[in-house]
Formats: sequence, C-alpha cells, structure tokens
Amino acid sequence: MTKKISRRRVLHSSAASVAALSLDQVVACPRTLCLGARNSKSDGKILVVVEMAGGNDGLNTVVPFNDDAYRKARPNLRIEKSSCLAINDDRGFHPALTGFASLLEQGKLSILHGIGYPDPNRSHFESMDIWHTCHRKDEPRPDGWIGRALQASRRESNDPPAIHLGSEQQPFALMSRELRVPSIQSLQQFQLRKNGSVDLSETIRELSAETTSDENELLGFIQSSTSSAIMTSERMEQTRKQKPSQSTYPKSNLGQKLQTVSQLIASDLETRVYYVRIDGFDTHANQPDAHTALLREVGDAVNAFVADISGQGNGDRVLVMCFSEFGRRVAENASDGTDHGTAAPVFFAGGRVRAGEVGDYPSLTDLEEGDLKHHTDFRSVYATVLQQWLECSSDSILDGSFPMLPFLDVG
Amino acid sequence: MAVGTAFTIDPDWAWERFTPTDDQPWGHSLASHLLRRGGFAPTAQQLEQAVKSGFESTLDGLTDVENTSQDYLDEIRTLTRAALASGSNKQLAAGWVYRMLTTPHPLLEKMTLFWHGHFATSATKVDDAELMLQQNELLRQHALGDFHVLLLEISRDPAMLIYLDSVTNRKSHPNENYAREIMELFSLGEGNYSETDIRELARCFTGWEIKRKRFRFNRFQHDTGKKTVLGKSGSFGGEDAVRIVSEQSSAPMFLCEKLVRFFVADDLKCTPELLQPLADRMQADDLQIAPTVKRILGSNLFFSESARARKVRSPVEFAIDLLRSLEGTTDTYMVAEAISDLGQGLYHPPSVKGWDGGRAWINSSTLLGRSNFVRRLVDHPKTRFGKQSLREYLDDRGVATIDDLLAFVQPILFAVPLNDSVRNQIESIRLNSLDRSANGFEDAIHLLCSLPEFQLS
Repeated sequence: MTKKISRRRVLHSSAASVAALSLDQVVACPRTLCLGARNSKSDGKILVVVEMAGGNDGLNTVVPFNDDAYRKARPNLRIEKSSCLAINDDRGFHPALTGFASLLEQGKLSILHGIGYPDPNRSHFESMDIWHTCHRKDEPRPDGWIGRALQASRRESNDPPAIHLGSEQQPFALMSRELRVPSIQSLQQFQLRKNGSVDLSETIRELSAETTSDENELLGFIQSSTSSAIMTSERMEQTRKQKPSQSTYPKSNLGQKLQTVSQLIASDLETRVYYVRIDGFDTHANQPDAHTALLREVGDAVNAFVADISGQGNGDRVLVMCFSEFGRRVAENASDGTDHGTAAPVFFAGGRVRAGEVGDYPSLTDLEEGDLKHHTDFRSVYATVLQQWLECSSDSILDGSFPMLPFLDVG
Repeated sequence: MAVGTAFTIDPDWAWERFTPTDDQPWGHSLASHLLRRGGFAPTAQQLEQAVKSGFESTLDGLTDVENTSQDYLDEIRTLTRAALASGSNKQLAAGWVYRMLTTPHPLLEKMTLFWHGHFATSATKVDDAELMLQQNELLRQHALGDFHVLLLEISRDPAMLIYLDSVTNRKSHPNENYAREIMELFSLGEGNYSETDIRELARCFTGWEIKRKRFRFNRFQHDTGKKTVLGKSGSFGGEDAVRIVSEQSSAPMFLCEKLVRFFVADDLKCTPELLQPLADRMQADDLQIAPTVKRILGSNLFFSESARARKVRSPVEFAIDLLRSLEGTTDTYMVAEAISDLGQGLYHPPSVKGWDGGRAWINSSTLLGRSNFVRRLVDHPKTRFGKQSLREYLDDRGVATIDDLLAFVQPILFAVPLNDSVRNQIESIRLNSLDRSANGFEDAIHLLCSLPEFQLS
C-alpha cells in the first residue's frame, strides 16, 4: 500500500521539480508539454567523444611507412609496411587498429591529418584544457566548447543534455555556466538506496529545490546539482530495466563504456553528447606494447559500437570523434618511448562520415623544434561538428570563424 | 547570476591574525569551522573543549603536531607491516583511512593528503605497495616542514621516479617528464618557465635512478655538461636543479594559492594582490610550511564570510568528518573503496595534476554515491559509535529525540544552518517511524548527509 502512494508522489513531484529546475534556467515547462516530449521518439543527432588522454603518437597510429624521415627518426619504434594495415601506398594503420581498418572499408571512418593549434603547449593539462575550452590559460575560461554549444542550443528535455561516462573528473569540455552534466559509471549506479523512514528521492528533491542560497553560490550550485541528480536517477532506472544490446563488445573498459552509451541511446534518451575517456597514451617509455593495447582497445570498441548503433537503426544519427591533446615528438627517446609533441590526427566514425583521409599528412622534414607543424586548426574540426552535426552557430562558441572541413556527409 | 562578489578583499587585512569580537565571538560555530578545516569534524566533546580553551590555544593545539604517543606509532607500524605483507594497495588505502580516523593530529593527516594531491603519484603505475607507503611516510614527515627539503626528497623518491619516468632518464636522451612537472605542477605554475628550461632541467636529472627500491645516482648516465636553467648556468646536477627551482620567486605565490584553495575557499578569487602578503611571509620564512598554514588558519579571511561554508567536502572529508564527529569505527576497506568511488582514490590520484577539488567533486553520480555510502555505512554490521550502537551512543549523550539529534549534529557537522523545511521533513521521520523503528536515527543521519548543506564545510 505504501508503495503505491510513494510512486504517485514521485511521479507528481518529478514534474514539479522539472518546473522548479526550469525556472532557474529558462522557462517553466508545463507538465503536459514535458510528458508529450517524453513520448515522442528522439531523432536528433548524437555526438560521442572518445578522448585519448596522454598524447597519442599519431605517427605510429597512421604510419607513413615509406617516409625515410620516419624510418630515421624511429630506429626502434618504427612499424614496417608489412605489419601495417594499408590505407594506401604510403600509409597504413598500426597493426592493432583492425577496428579502424574495418570501419574505413565500410566507408564509416574519416581521418583528419595535421590537426593542432598555433604556438602549441606541451603540457598535458594545458593542452587538454585548450582543446576542451578553445582558450589559452591567460584568457578567462569558465566553460568548455561542448558546454557552450549545449547551452546555446538548449532544448526543453527531461534528459541531461550530455552524459559523461567514467569515474574520472568531469571533462572541462562539458562545463557550462548553467547546465549540469551527470557523470555515471554504470546504469545501476543511479539507484538511490532506500530510507526506512522517508521517501528519500522525493525528500531530497524537495529540500534541494529550496532557494535559500542567494549569498552562497556554492550552496546554490550543489542544490541544483542535487535536483539534477535525482531526476537523472529516475530516468536511468527506466533504462536499466531495458534489455542489453546484442552486439558483441570487447571486454575492455572503453568497450564497456561504449556499450552503456549504446544502451542509453537505445532507450531514447534525448541526450545529445556522450563523453568517454581512455587514458594511458603518455608513452614516454616502452611504448610498443602499451600503444598496441591502447589502439586495439580504441579500434575494437569503436567498431563494435558503430555496428551496434547501426543495428539499432541509429547509425545515421551517431557520430564518434576520437582525439588526443597532442601527438608526440617525431624522434623517439632512449626509453623506447616518445615525448610530448604537437600535431596529430583526429578520427571520426559513423554512418554519415565522408570516408577516407582529409588534409595532407604533415611533413616529417619541415619540423619545428623536432615537432610536426599542424596545418589545420582543431577549431575547424569543432566548427564542422557544431555547424553540420549539432546544428548550432559555431562563431560565438569558438570565439571566431573557422573554415569547415569536408569530413561529414550531411545532405 | 554574477560570479563572485563585487567587493574586494584588503590583502593586508586578509592575512592579519583574527581576533574574536562581539560580532564574531569565539563560539561553537567558529571553533567548529577551525577544527573541521584544519583537520576533521570534532566530536561534541572536542568542540566544547575548543570553545572553552579559546581561539589562540585551539589554533596552537591544532598546529602542534609534534608529540605522538609511542603506543599509537607502534600500533600504526604493526598495521602498516601487515598491509605491506599483503602487498595490496587496497589495504594501504584502508590503513590510511584508519590513521585519519584515529590520529591525534588531524592537521598532519590533512596536510599529508594535501601533498599527496600535490605530488600526485598513482599506485596504478608505480605498482609497488612498499614504495607507495614509503612516499606516504615521506610526505607526512615533511608535511609541515621545509618546502625546499620536501621538494628535494620527493624528487629522489622512488615512487615518484617511477611515476614520472625519471628512471629512464639517460644522458643521450633526457626524459622531460619530471623536469616539466616539477616546475608546472609542483612549484612554479605554468608560464613561469620556458620549454628550453624544461629541456635543460631534464639534463640535470640524468643519472637519477633506483636500485633495490632506493634512489641512487649513476654518474655514468649523468650529463656533466653546462646547463642553463631559469637564467642560471653551470654544470648542475639534480640537487642544484631542485634548489634553483624552489628558489624561484614564483614558488611561494604558487604554493600559497594552492594552500588557500585547500584551506579557505573553493571559488575565492585568488589574485596575486590578495596572496602577496602571505607569499611574502612564506618567502621570508624560507618556505617553511607550518608557519604559513598557521597564518592561513588564524587569519581574518579564514573566519570571514568569504570562507565559511565555502568549501565542498572532499570524499575523504565527507567520510572522515561523519565518522570522527560521532566517534565512529567501521570496515576501513569499505570506507577506502567508497572514497575511491566518490572520486578520491587514496594512492590513486587521477593524474599527476592531483584532484581539482571544489565543484569538480560534485556531479549526479557522486551525489547519489555519497547518499548511498552513508546508508551502507550506517547499516554496516561493523559500524559502531564509541563502541556502541548509534542509539546507545546518542542516548549516553542525552539525545533522545530527533530534535535533540539536530541540535547535536548541527554544530559539529554543518557549516550551513539547517533551515525550517529540513526541520519539518525530519519531523516526518519522527512521526513516521522513530517510535516504531529501531532505525530512526540511522534514517535521520542518512537523510541529513544526503542534503546539499552537508556537502559543504
């Protein structure tokens, strides 16, 4: 009996809290409208970002096996033509990237060469922050490029605009002034443990909606985060009960994360951006084994994910972007590793990419302090994603106008 | 919504010693603030004691971390040996939780945690419990000591050498990882050195190796040539290099900013102007850490509105504050694991940058996780409060009703006063179940710790 009552209370207050939250953000959404939106199948475009943290060695990812300069710079680490998965006569994928090779064959992978930015910073954190925010350290940067995009094109929805999957701290790219993005590790995590005396979910939500915090912004932030957490929890609970997908994913960490993303997409969440991270690309020492394992994890997981999404009938709605904060120095070091470098390739996968390579392979002889020179600004990559995929105007988000790149096929 | 408040803080006033006044009397609220931030939340008895003995004496007691009883150290040593014998990093983390729960010197543990986040080294890569423990002892030993010494010791610390790849730093190919991080993250901050400085500094560290889990200098791998680092030239070795770095004028400013963020407020606008007097004093103290920390904890700014309830509880504080304030003991493995799930894995910082802290602790996943952790904790069969059940413990302290409970926990655990709606909701616990259920107090603690207010310190 008590169960019945509390369920109705939850439903009721769920709508109430949406309204409460909306007041803080845009306009209050009438309850009927929200419910209506919830019933329609979502069909918007989705971006899945795979962050390869640590600085991926682009040269050993897409290998210029015929280039003498490559062979000289990498006496120990170079990968021979015979081992590579050929892309064309001059280049091939690292042998562990069978996933990417298969995607390319299916016409579902685009390789963007020579991506970077002027006056490159070789600190992981600074360079990653630059990629996430599009701003240098000496400029104010309270938010990230995705966060700004989501805020600029905000829609009324019960679902979070973006979801970060992982236990590490939330990516700067997702930060915005007003939108809170949840981080989750698995779907189960969103079940609140019960309290014998009160309906915890409802009680916390009611108490978090109190606006007693005019003078303490930090408390206001936690109150709105708590409301958002409770809402997401209820949504995830519904998704959790759905059947898991059929596609076979690798057992790797990234594979599991992308499988969860696929389940969330399959459950018709209106979430537009999913963000996952794989760490370990900082291969200063003993690079070959580590790099092999990492690339295999990325290639296999992304390949399985794209297959799964296509099987769901969502293949044309989902775009995967794989990037790293920088590449690595052209010359190997004495520890069978490579140090921080600059320009590197960015990869896109999905049913709507224009398959193949975009841009020239960067020169290995025209270097700057031993590093590759970029020829395409990463903000051009973002501008293309923003304009052609997330359908928002990129200039204000990127604080400048950047030329589009031809890697999407969106007619 | 404007970010930050419009008024600016007078830097000189900020770091002057606070004096209690009629407007801001030394009472439960201020004493609890000092004890929480400078350590962990006090028990009711400790709080009464602090109120009685006054501000200066409480501050002195907090920062005096010298005398630890031999019995306690022996107990810790036994536990540590057992942890090492198991070789498990999980046991190490549980051991540290135990120490934080039982230490007579909370500030020392808090500073050890600060340096762990500062000189972040992860067992995931180091993969050697003994070396991780050794580093932890090193951080504790110098936690309130001399920064020059701490920086040199950590530069030669085997776990650090492994973590930042210094062990493969050879004469022919210097590895730049440590050279970069010692300046960027450990002492100067980005922008206070050049890429050339990094390359030159890396040469100074060539030949620093580990042999049988100890630091050793391999002169055959050392580049004896002339280097130019941060404007100084000479055929420097690693020791010279560390000294050159820690003597940079940007070092005290960099350290003070981190300490102020750690102790005072998450969102405070730490301008160079605001920090200057504090940094100048630290410089004059030749980078002694204890006086700097004491200056911060005793300052006007620390007791001002800009600081109070202006920090998000870290996962460690969330768990240890709750347990210590109620004299709780429990399965320390469970606590260590929960803290890790909430984003602060002891011995496993997410990267060399450590934990960002502040708002970064908070998201949907961690908020729900915090609530679930409290439930697990109060339901856990090993959880005891002063060796009793929660009800017995509270009973002995005259806490019989939910109103009593609120009055009991508010001063020791909450930086923000609980408002009337909270009181009304708690009321419903009383009406619903306190009389019938044996878990009314547990339920109340579960609810209270799930509230936004509890996330602040």
